[in-house]
Amino acid sequence: MNIFAQELKMSAISMIYWTTALILLVFVFMFMYPPISKDIAVFESILNNFPISLRRALGITTLDLSEVLGFYGFIFVYILLIGSVYAMKSGISVLSEEIRSKTADFLLVKPVSRSTIVNAKILSVLTNLGIQNILFITLSCLIVNAYKQDSLDAAALVLINASLIQVQLFFVALGLFLSVVIKKIKTVLPITLGVVFAFFVIQLLNQSLDDPKLAYITPFAYFDVGQIIQNSSYDFSFLVTNFVIITVLTVLTYLIYQRQDIPSL
Amino acid sequence: MSVIEINNLTKYYGKARGIIDVSFSVNEGEIFGFIGPNGAGKSTTIRILLALIYPTSGSASIFGKDCIAEGPEIRREIGYLPSEVFYYDNMRVIDLLQYSASFYKNIDKNRIYKLAEIMDLDLNRKIEDLSYGNKKKVGIVQGLLHQPRLIILDEPTSGLDPLMQQKFFDLIHEENKNGATVLFSSHILSEVQKLCSRVTIIKEGRIISIEDINALKRNNYKKFIIDMDEAVSEDYFNIEGVADLAVDKTTFTFLFKGDINQMIDKIHGKRLNNLRIEEPALEEIFMHYYEKEE
Repeated sequence: MNIFAQELKMSAISMIYWTTALILLVFVFMFMYPPISKDIAVFESILNNFPISLRRALGITTLDLSEVLGFYGFIFVYILLIGSVYAMKSGISVLSEEIRSKTADFLLVKPVSRSTIVNAKILSVLTNLGIQNILFITLSCLIVNAYKQDSLDAAALVLINASLIQVQLFFVALGLFLSVVIKKIKTVLPITLGVVFAFFVIQLLNQSLDDPKLAYITPFAYFDVGQIIQNSSYDFSFLVTNFVIITVLTVLTYLIYQRQDIPSL
Repeated sequence: MSVIEINNLTKYYGKARGIIDVSFSVNEGEIFGFIGPNGAGKSTTIRILLALIYPTSGSASIFGKDCIAEGPEIRREIGYLPSEVFYYDNMRVIDLLQYSASFYKNIDKNRIYKLAEIMDLDLNRKIEDLSYGNKKKVGIVQGLLHQPRLIILDEPTSGLDPLMQQKFFDLIHEENKNGATVLFSSHILSEVQKLCSRVTIIKEGRIISIEDINALKRNNYKKFIIDMDEAVSEDYFNIEGVADLAVDKTTFTFLFKGDINQMIDKIHGKRLNNLRIEEPALEEIFMHYYEKEE
């Protein structure tokens, strides 16, 4: 419990910054919705000049940008991207920070087992994500709702927003796993950005090529906004895939960390 | 009863040698010195005791419990001070110490203040603003605040000024008097000489010998410094039992172990400028050990 509280104290400010950034992004993007929807014909004719593969990559072939939900879906990709960077950063740093700041010799000689430490640290990351998502979903739904024209599929909106934490969990698990596999991580952000953007590029390719196998490689494809708007539900096979990957990576993290030598100073 | 029991402990880092076949035990209530040059394997051994790293083979137990399997339980009773200390930079000293205390049951909270006063440590400063010596003091307080039954010190005095070193030694003595066992690793022999009752010497990952410190000094080694007034051949004193013979013009310096009368006979009838016979410093005895092993 003390480790958990300590972790929260150390990470609270960063969480608040990132959450603010996410909400600001929604605010700013949605601010552009009324002018764009007014001249949607012009906007779409510009977009239609783009080659089809690029339009697919941007995810606009399946979305109706004149609809508030369609427009939100279009910008939500970037919310996912930023949320994922935050999640991956948290996942990579939460265990490795003790080694990086050389405090492992302090914490690990305390009368606690390694799995207790991992429990507390993962719980702190989950708590941060929980708080972030509650704030984000509430405010984002309020903002989007303010721009609705006549009706709004509230269920679809919540489902879109709720996909954020599921993609984030994927990156937390991946970050945790990488942090115990890679020896001596000096800086977190370069690895984080590299990995998240790699998955993002795979998603662009996936949307452009429409290859069903490619979609399983990147979590950005698991919660397709166009499909959520159409069906008001998630794709079950992707949901399971995400769950399995998160579970496997987390279990591996525990196993590897348990047997790991802590490098000396 | 032995508090620490190490049996054939071996650790390789990949192919790099850590320690090989290390065995020794530390008895309850003693201050045990762990001596060796840098890179000999002192920290490796200690880090296995604390389950920071895992042995390649062999075993170690503390209070009769396996260091790895029952680590968390054992560590309730261990206080550890590493040679270099690092803490969470943006915490205040008192917050860090209270965080440290929160890991132990039945802590006497006043002890933090008492220890901080002895070590002259300002509790309200931020860790990142502390000098190296002051961080070390934080390390001492956090290592002792839970009144551990076993204190493990890994080259603890670096960064402390002589006055603080003395206070620190007094503190360790005090804890020892109150029943704590101490494992004291160092490459500075004079501090070990001051503090410890027994020592083990480690070199290149292997234990060379385990000695009672008084026996070691009493081991009949005498240091001779003889300034001759008449010329003698360079190996005049090189008889059985002489070691580390050094000749500087007319001055002969060496360690001698054996029947003292033999040496007196050699000197008898010669003209001398000066003669000193001393107890050798541990350092010199150890150097002798190191060389003998090579």
